[in-house]
Amino acid sequence: MRLRDEKLLPIWEKVQGGERLTLEDGLALYRTPDIIGLGKMAHHVQKVRSGDAVYFVLNQKIEHTNVCVLSCKFCDFAAKKGSARAYEMTTQEILERLTPDIKEVHITGGMPADWPWERYLDIVESIHRHLPDADVKAFTAVEIDFFHKKFKMSIEEVLRQLKAAGVRTMPGGGAEVFSERVRKLLFNQKIGAKGWLEVHKTAHRLGIPTNSTMLYGHVETLEERLVHMIKLREVQDETGGFLTFIPLAFQPGETGIKPSHRYTSAIDDLKTIAISRLMLDNFPHIKAYWVMLTEEVASIALNFGADDMDGTVGGEKIAHDAGALSPMALKKDQIIRIIRDAGKIPVERDVYYNPLRLHADHVIGKIPYLNSIAYHAHLHAPHHKILPVIPRRMGLLSEQGMIDGGLFSVMSFVQQSDQLESLGYGLASRDQVRSVMLFSKEGWRDLEGKRIGIIDDTATSVRLLRILLEKRYNVTAHFERLHSGVNDLSGLDAVLLIGDEALHHQKTGLPGFDLVYDLASEWYEWQKLPFVFAVWAVKKNLSEEMKDELRKALVDSLQKSSEDYWSIASAHARRLKLTKPETVDYLEGFTYCLGEREREAISRFAEMVEELEKAQ
Amino acid sequence: MKLENVYGKARAGGRLTREEGLALLKHGELLDLAESANEVRFRINPDPHVTFVIDTNPNYSNVCTIDCIFCAFYRHPGDEGEYTYSVDHMIAKFKESAAKGATTVLLQGGVNPALPLDYYIEMVERTVKEVPQIHPHFFSTSEVLGMAEVSRLTVPEVLKRLWDAGLRTIPGGGAEILSDRVKKKISSRKGTSADWLSVMREAHRLGYKSTATMMYGHLEQDEDIIEHLEVVRALQDEYHGFTAFVPWSFKPGNTPLEKIIPHYATPTRYLQMIALSRLYLDNVPHIQASWFSEGKKTGQIALHFGADDFGGTLQEENVHAAANFVNTTNTGECIQMIHDAGFVAAQRDTLYRILKTYPPPAEAA
Repeated sequence: MRLRDEKLLPIWEKVQGGERLTLEDGLALYRTPDIIGLGKMAHHVQKVRSGDAVYFVLNQKIEHTNVCVLSCKFCDFAAKKGSARAYEMTTQEILERLTPDIKEVHITGGMPADWPWERYLDIVESIHRHLPDADVKAFTAVEIDFFHKKFKMSIEEVLRQLKAAGVRTMPGGGAEVFSERVRKLLFNQKIGAKGWLEVHKTAHRLGIPTNSTMLYGHVETLEERLVHMIKLREVQDETGGFLTFIPLAFQPGETGIKPSHRYTSAIDDLKTIAISRLMLDNFPHIKAYWVMLTEEVASIALNFGADDMDGTVGGEKIAHDAGALSPMALKKDQIIRIIRDAGKIPVERDVYYNPLRLHADHVIGKIPYLNSIAYHAHLHAPHHKILPVIPRRMGLLSEQGMIDGGLFSVMSFVQQSDQLESLGYGLASRDQVRSVMLFSKEGWRDLEGKRIGIIDDTATSVRLLRILLEKRYNVTAHFERLHSGVNDLSGLDAVLLIGDEALHHQKTGLPGFDLVYDLASEWYEWQKLPFVFAVWAVKKNLSEEMKDELRKALVDSLQKSSEDYWSIASAHARRLKLTKPETVDYLEGFTYCLGEREREAISRFAEMVEELEKAQ
Repeated sequence: MKLENVYGKARAGGRLTREEGLALLKHGELLDLAESANEVRFRINPDPHVTFVIDTNPNYSNVCTIDCIFCAFYRHPGDEGEYTYSVDHMIAKFKESAAKGATTVLLQGGVNPALPLDYYIEMVERTVKEVPQIHPHFFSTSEVLGMAEVSRLTVPEVLKRLWDAGLRTIPGGGAEILSDRVKKKISSRKGTSADWLSVMREAHRLGYKSTATMMYGHLEQDEDIIEHLEVVRALQDEYHGFTAFVPWSFKPGNTPLEKIIPHYATPTRYLQMIALSRLYLDNVPHIQASWFSEGKKTGQIALHFGADDFGGTLQEENVHAAANFVNTTNTGECIQMIHDAGFVAAQRDTLYRILKTYPPPAEAA
């Protein structure tokens, strides 16, 4: 890294060490003339978090009406009822807009005075019935607040009913800029920071992950932008429910905002993307929303911290009514081309950011947990791109032939043994592991007939849990898959977590679930064998040359990482709420090179799974 | 080959080999390219200036017999919509442009076989005499070859006649990709890569300055791009006649090639081209980024990828417009874009001499 602005040096130190940036750091970043240095710092964080993945979704925007009781100065979309521009769509008209390939339906619109509550529920339910494969992302916090007031229900009740009707996630619109000064100037009829954040926190508590936005480039100051980011970061610390952050460049159009009647500059757009990636250290994704940023800036932003291109966005109107310069919809192949040219993997995703299809060859899967870091911290695989993906999803992608290699969950490895070949390495633990944990309200033997929530990530641990329950404790429980991101755990009797979430909660506790069991310890006490969670495997049909290259790269990375655990720990301990010694201890607890005992453990486990599955 | 070493070599002023250039193009991270290109840019052009020229790109004729499959502008003789303007008509146009502040006219055809050499000579002479505010930047290599054919003179003789009439610079268009493998497919009748180079060589030998262009994003491979940069650099070693290198992407609208290549090259690709050309062309003084050809936002960002020039304000432009690619600006906006990118805007002439600087207003935010 060759930073031209020396003010960036201390910030770069912090970024590398996983330290959190302050408002002053953010200002220094906004003021730097070295946008390439800034971009490289953000790209570094992007790569650590997202590898080479850039996500997009086949989505359709539904703006059910433009009739709105509010009149915000920056909006050219809203119309008064009865005016020539006003429209209201029936549920049938909405369904006619949807094509079968759609994976996400994004619903947001005006707020008419005379629609009954049932009409909204009907839209969501009907879409759900009409397109069972698609997920509904619906209603901004502003609309939720409107429903709460108009239909005299608590925000929680509004959200519960929407969730029951089929809403999966919520869009992040209506946040504007969290500043009372700006709110009074531009949108005094909207809910403001406190109301917006309250709606999102409630959604997160109910297991509805949400997006977040910031509308910039009008009358706000740089400080106000950074305060906005910091407020989001604080809520994310509390709930973990935000999926992505979307900076929205203000579109001047014919909106009533005069003092800065200009489009934002490309440089401001890129800086804002990069700075949000650096400031929002706890956000999984940063979105370059091409509708607002233009296709040009969104393309380039993929090297400045953004790992999310939104999607095809059929049917968008609000931004275009305000003069957005982008085309009305992007074709899928155009999005794929843009992402590939940026040197990234085009990843078609679902509403929770689970990868459905990869549009690239030569992909290595990376388990996005601390436990696999020794394989990745120093991995140099010049012919491959890296996709962070949870174990169960990696197995699914591999079944479709989309993964060349990676640390496979042992279950996927066993199931796909005709296509996969072990490189002799993996992740095993003797006795406790601390990152495959059952958090329970009941002891093992009292779990009979109880409901256990299973984190979406797991392919192996879920079977280990069933073996322990049924074979060791003679207990049968009901398993319920949780979805990625935040979940509503009320009503469950136990929860199986793996990876960093498990590691974090075994330290801090999971409220309401007082008994904590380490599944590796349970296995060890019972079988007197280590437990192998994952095997580093490659496609059998990969060339020998490539297999050698990868094997060498693995050994190299393991070697360098083992000399470097302390600095790895420094970069991750804060995020996981562990101390550095605890983090080092955790990393040193794994067996990486699989020996005789580990191979025996894999066979034993595979046999037990087979018996169990036969019995069912 | 370690890319770090390649970047280090370029930054230190070393000359990249083809293999090194290709490795950067195929495997270089976008912002690593930018970082080094920017450093080289400030070594070669240390001032924080980004230059622009107030200019216009009219066309005296759209009649052309070369049939390039990437072009939407030309008409055959006798086709509907064909036109050829008189010298009088063009001089009047130049006067209008000069009144609007233009200092440069980049004038090109068509390669119209019906026009005699005298037409071109008169165009230059009368421009120099009657519109002295304007620097004539006339006639691409294809037109010069056309003039030689029509007049049965050699290329050096034609260039000498034009020089004597007062022409001092010629535009660098028509290079497309200087790799015959590609040229054969997209413009088989426009001559070989050697034809373009030899006209340029003769011109530079006589003392002309010119730009060099590259049109990518069609049928070329990475190797062809390196070939292009290589031959431009080699010719530049001979006479140092190139003022600037100007890459732009193919615009498919209304062209026969649209069937095979229906889309624009991506902004990322453009930034790679800008940065790579800055690193590879160690002997070309300026790299031009364009607000026009790739869009204002991409153009602005390219100023951080090694470019130090922002092209012209283009009061008139017809060739991209024929491909449904329209983009306009004015001097005020051009200056604003340069300021927003963090540079001092500087108006230049055709020879890249600075006429006037516009420092950015005091930091507002």
